Amino acid sequence: MTAPGVAQPNPSPPLPAKPAAPVLRAFVGRPTASPQAAASWTPRQVWANNLRSVVGRAYPRIIGLTREPSWLIFQMLLPFLTTSSFVFVYRALDAPQAYIGFVVIGGAMTAFWLNVVWMMAAQLYWEKDQGNLELYFAAPMNVMSVLIGMAVGGLVMSSTRAVAILFIATVVFGVSFSISQWTLLIAVFVLTLAALYGFGMMLASLFVMWGREAFHLTQLMTEPVYFVSGLNFPVGRLGFIGALAIALIPLAVGLDAMRQLAFVSTGPTGTPEPWVEALILVAMTIVFIGLARWLLHSMEERARREGRLTVRWR
Amino acid sequence: MIDVGLNPRDRFDPARARGRGTVDLLRSFRTAASLGWKMEANWTDPVLFFIYSVAKPVASALILVFMLQVIAGPAGIALRPFVIVGSALWSFVVSGVAGLAWAVLDDRERYRMLKYIYVSPSSFLTVLLGRGLARLAVGAMGAGITLAVGVIVLGVPFNVLAVDWPLLVIVLVLGVITICSLAVVMAAVCLQTRQESWDYPEVVVGALFLVVGAVFPLSVLPLPLQVFGLISPLSWWIAGVRQALFPGGPSSIGGPGSLWQQLSGQLNPNPVQIVLVLLVTGAIVTLGSAMLFRAGEARAKDRGLIDRTTGS
Repeated sequence: MTAPGVAQPNPSPPLPAKPAAPVLRAFVGRPTASPQAAASWTPRQVWANNLRSVVGRAYPRIIGLTREPSWLIFQMLLPFLTTSSFVFVYRALDAPQAYIGFVVIGGAMTAFWLNVVWMMAAQLYWEKDQGNLELYFAAPMNVMSVLIGMAVGGLVMSSTRAVAILFIATVVFGVSFSISQWTLLIAVFVLTLAALYGFGMMLASLFVMWGREAFHLTQLMTEPVYFVSGLNFPVGRLGFIGALAIALIPLAVGLDAMRQLAFVSTGPTGTPEPWVEALILVAMTIVFIGLARWLLHSMEERARREGRLTVRWR
Repeated sequence: MIDVGLNPRDRFDPARARGRGTVDLLRSFRTAASLGWKMEANWTDPVLFFIYSVAKPVASALILVFMLQVIAGPAGIALRPFVIVGSALWSFVVSGVAGLAWAVLDDRERYRMLKYIYVSPSSFLTVLLGRGLARLAVGAMGAGITLAVGVIVLGVPFNVLAVDWPLLVIVLVLGVITICSLAVVMAAVCLQTRQESWDYPEVVVGALFLVVGAVFPLSVLPLPLQVFGLISPLSWWIAGVRQALFPGGPSSIGGPGSLWQQLSGQLNPNPVQIVLVLLVTGAIVTLGSAMLFRAGEARAKDRGLIDRTTGS
């Protein structure tokens, strides 16, 4: 892999004829004999650099949490109240207690979905508007590490919100879970997050290409997706639309699998078994991350060739 | 300087420095509204824009209709008018409140124009209100379409001749003023916060959704929460519109065992009571929002937040 990073260009006097001990500090932190040697990275260096990029991109999201106290109210307390509204709809209808649990799990998972839509899918578009995208493409790193860093930071942010909703709502509304397969439940949860963030990575590239439409697409991906994913009711009740959502939207399949595993007593829901849905999530994760890589690579090529994708406000 | 002999048109016009009061305000508002509409709508063809604008409110209503259907079955059909009206009006609130806050974030974080707008001779609040008008219009369109879908597709019984038009007009006007006031408060909040505040308006409005009786009667809530509902102008606005569109239908404010019944001795509030309470609570919220906006603006100016850009 080649990369810029030559801190001091080769001065006018020619290099010594015989190989000697490194005399140039051509790459920061690694004395090398020449700029060419500096640009030739070992796999270990590439990995270390990409890992540093992941940490660097996740850093502002995680540290930012401690620097914006209003976040505690807006991201933890108020979303719980929104979830409570749907709980009271079911209470007004004298619904079985399990449905209140459905709403609580749905409310917790919206934290991840909103994070994926606003802070993954639309993020590269914001970065373009702010002039950062061209810096990402110019930096000596794999741009996928930026997306992974965004995902890691976003996961931490939204996990706190999800845990808060789940914990407070469970205590306040007395939700009782009946779980028989803990391992599968945890596996499904992790797979759902992987598929969700893979989906977000894929959308990030698409949103940059779609330009101004991105903002409106984020709007389209909230309530309409909540509806077809069966956020507050069993997705199986939607028939063909529900089946399509299970096949295409990670939120729908993950939610349904988790509900089946967390509320065993509710009986059959008319959807595939949880282990089948876990396999669907595995397939989604592989496909979405693969597509994200391919799209990002295509976009990077296009950005370098045409020089238009990184131009602001298009 | 002696200006004797000068043509009056060539003299210095003090109004150019002092401003022309209402004329300037109206011009700023009109320009900002036009800009807001162009930013919202001129990037695509009208059909696509229409789809984007109505998909969200219609989906919100469908979520609630399916919740009714799943639990109540055919019996839930009787509750559809209640849920459809509340859901449609709420999409209007979400859109209206988000408009101003997003105008602040857009201009500060994305276009980085807020500082220039702020130092321009235009009134900052007027510009923000103008920018928010486009989203309010989109919200109104979404609410209208949701109601139409409710009537045409979901079979909500609606009789145009039965509508209480005077009540509808009065509560709509008062409601729009209240929504704009809440939007002004959110704009003041977003002046203080960083880029992640994009979803703050929705989160705040989502929390209010709990206490305004949009999709379930307040009597379902614990008494302390019913108090919040009764002092919220949005509860009275929704109750008023519901009463105007479906006279004699179930009320979200009253009902057996409700706090309203305990306080007033009546089962449901009548239209005059709805308008009076909406007027009083709306006036308090409007005055409070103006004060909060001034305080927020002063704080933002003091701390250099108006030209700050953030990232995460």
